[in-house]
Amino acid sequence: MTMPDRRDLLAGAALFFGSSLAPPLAKALSQADNPAGFTASHAVFNDGQRALVTAICDRIVPTTDTPGAVAAGVPAFIEMMLADWYSPGDRVDFLAGVAALDGFAMRGYGKAFAALAAQQQDSVLTTAMHGMMQGLASGFFDHCRQMVLLGYYSSEIGCRQERVYLPVPGRYDGAYLYSQVGRVFSS
Amino acid sequence: MANYDFDAIVIGSGISGGWAAKELCEKGLKVLMLDRGRMVEHKKDYITEFKGPWQLPYRGTLPPAEVARDYFLAKWGGAANTDRNHFYNNDRLNPFDYEGSTPFRWVRPNQVGGKSLIWGRVSLRWSQIDFDANRKDGYGVPWPISYDELAPWYSYVEKFAGIAGGREGLAQLPDGEFQPPHAMNVAEIWVKERLEKAMPDRKLIHTRCANMTEDKPEQGRFRCQRRNQCARGCSFGAYFSTQSSTLPAARKTGNLTLLSDKVVTSLDYDPKTRRVTGVRTVDANTGEAKIFTSRIVFLCASAMASVQILLNSRLPGSDRSFANSSGTLGCYIMDHAMRTFFWGTVPEGQLDQYVEYGRRPAGVYIPKFRNLNGQDADADFVRGYGMQGGASRAVAAPDGFGASMKEGLRKYGPWTIQFNVFAECLPYKNNTLSLHPTKSDRFGMPLIVFDVAFRHNEERMMVDAARQGEIMMRAAGLVDVGSRQDEHVPGDAIHEMGGACMGDDPKASVVNRWSQAHDADNLFVTDGSQMSSTNCVNPSLTFMALTARAADHAVKLAREHVI
Repeated sequence: MTMPDRRDLLAGAALFFGSSLAPPLAKALSQADNPAGFTASHAVFNDGQRALVTAICDRIVPTTDTPGAVAAGVPAFIEMMLADWYSPGDRVDFLAGVAALDGFAMRGYGKAFAALAAQQQDSVLTTAMHGMMQGLASGFFDHCRQMVLLGYYSSEIGCRQERVYLPVPGRYDGAYLYSQVGRVFSS
Repeated sequence: MANYDFDAIVIGSGISGGWAAKELCEKGLKVLMLDRGRMVEHKKDYITEFKGPWQLPYRGTLPPAEVARDYFLAKWGGAANTDRNHFYNNDRLNPFDYEGSTPFRWVRPNQVGGKSLIWGRVSLRWSQIDFDANRKDGYGVPWPISYDELAPWYSYVEKFAGIAGGREGLAQLPDGEFQPPHAMNVAEIWVKERLEKAMPDRKLIHTRCANMTEDKPEQGRFRCQRRNQCARGCSFGAYFSTQSSTLPAARKTGNLTLLSDKVVTSLDYDPKTRRVTGVRTVDANTGEAKIFTSRIVFLCASAMASVQILLNSRLPGSDRSFANSSGTLGCYIMDHAMRTFFWGTVPEGQLDQYVEYGRRPAGVYIPKFRNLNGQDADADFVRGYGMQGGASRAVAAPDGFGASMKEGLRKYGPWTIQFNVFAECLPYKNNTLSLHPTKSDRFGMPLIVFDVAFRHNEERMMVDAARQGEIMMRAAGLVDVGSRQDEHVPGDAIHEMGGACMGDDPKASVVNRWSQAHDADNLFVTDGSQMSSTNCVNPSLTFMALTARAADHAVKLAREHVI
């Protein structure tokens, strides 16, 4: 389906509520084109780790009829969070988890995870998901998936293309038909 | 008559201070309003407003290490969220005596406007039952005022603030001057119909809140846009705050001087005239000390901070505060007990086709139903509790990964309804706030020492609330019903009150029926510190009404040259 553009939504709100709302709505419009704003304070990944995490992101939230996690910048988001949000111990644990995935890929297929075919990558992730991967901390898959989902659904693509973003809803309907949207409203 | 810098000084610019400034300015007084926090201007300084999740630092959550270092108490009030963190006190820079205190989660703001920018906005009146409570069961200082005395002031502040709510005709929760309520969603209506049929003495009503559903063009404020991002500040002025409401009104008179970054440390006092003669301040940025003088002083620094200032205002050559001839200053510290939750799920196949469009700023409320007509036979506690909640549908849980998971996350889970209990905390004289004899903060202010704990009555009430909550959820036909009691620490509710209680007896209370200090005729203490009990409803609306009433009285006394 076609996602309504935020400008249309805001313009609609202005029409609905009259020109008295113009100043705050103008402020909302001025924010509309701000780029996603984060920069990691330092690199955490080497090239191999970056490719590995990118490949994981791509399999967890792939591009379908909407862009996936890689297009939404999730690998860079995860690197920023590891650099500036995680505690050193949690950062080590996360890196150990992805290393374990890569080690499993090497042992099983003789290739790094990032170099595997998509089907093989899914097989590795499925093994991890079911807690069947030796040397992988329990809970790592859930943790990793949670990071990808957080990064994706808080990204502009996640909010505005995969989900429906209402910056200024203007009204509340507590009996709105799901069939009218067919998606989830983002926060 | 002495020469004063101002007719009146208002200490603090939150909900109470803002009202004091507005009322005194509108009555023609030249007013100085002081706040210890930084300046925040309406609209301009709402720096996270209109930002999408992708535009917020760390996508919304502050790094845990920073929270642990600087916001270990403020986090209980939401400071870990990067959309609002800038509105909270830094607990490292501005401490109380953490080591010497009982656990107390004192959540403080950091700016002009105080907690009015980040408050929960639930606005409920007290009833006569609540003003009678202390006298009836003997806890605390008897209230010297009645509901009827306060009712016109409730009306006065409600009309200006803009309160959305429904008229219910309940004795325990009097109706007010309401704009139309924020609509219930389909699941809340479903629960309400079934609950009220099964248990006719229980009501599920719209939360009454200071989020407008109609415009107030005369104030430059507009109705709620259903963003539910109130704590970032609202450029529509849809919710009541100092910035949106009382500050513009005060400024419009031309009578207001507002100084931010001024930490009030104590009040000077003349025992001969029984008057406060000066307000001592330290500039938060430069450290410059300065005394301001006025004919009238309104102390609205927030309940705990006002008591701290009073305790630090000692008679010359004495360790005792001038305002403490009763010996009760700093006693009866209270906060609502909370963190008891209960919930239920709408059965599968019901209401599945519906979702919510837009984000309401408020949900539903179950008013107090315990001990309304004397003591309930099956209640092992006095007084009661109210329950705040709402129904919603969470996004479905992720299943697996990949395209199928992504598709599954386009759906919602079932409708669930959840409630959080707010219970009255009894006034216990030995729940106290005192000043540390030697430790002080970077402004030279002695550190607060809290000795405050919940006791059997609060604990029994919470057990009862969880049990009653589950009974109600089941009676309404919900499934997967449950309840949980988390550790509840005083301060959690951010409804801290008491310490300078109101009463007729100067030997047993700090302020009189006009919020006027028994020991200083020109000093009015109108924030939460004057509360002699807590009831179980959110208190800010009552602070507003008491403040407007006290301002009216103070100006009358000044005109009659009594003060």
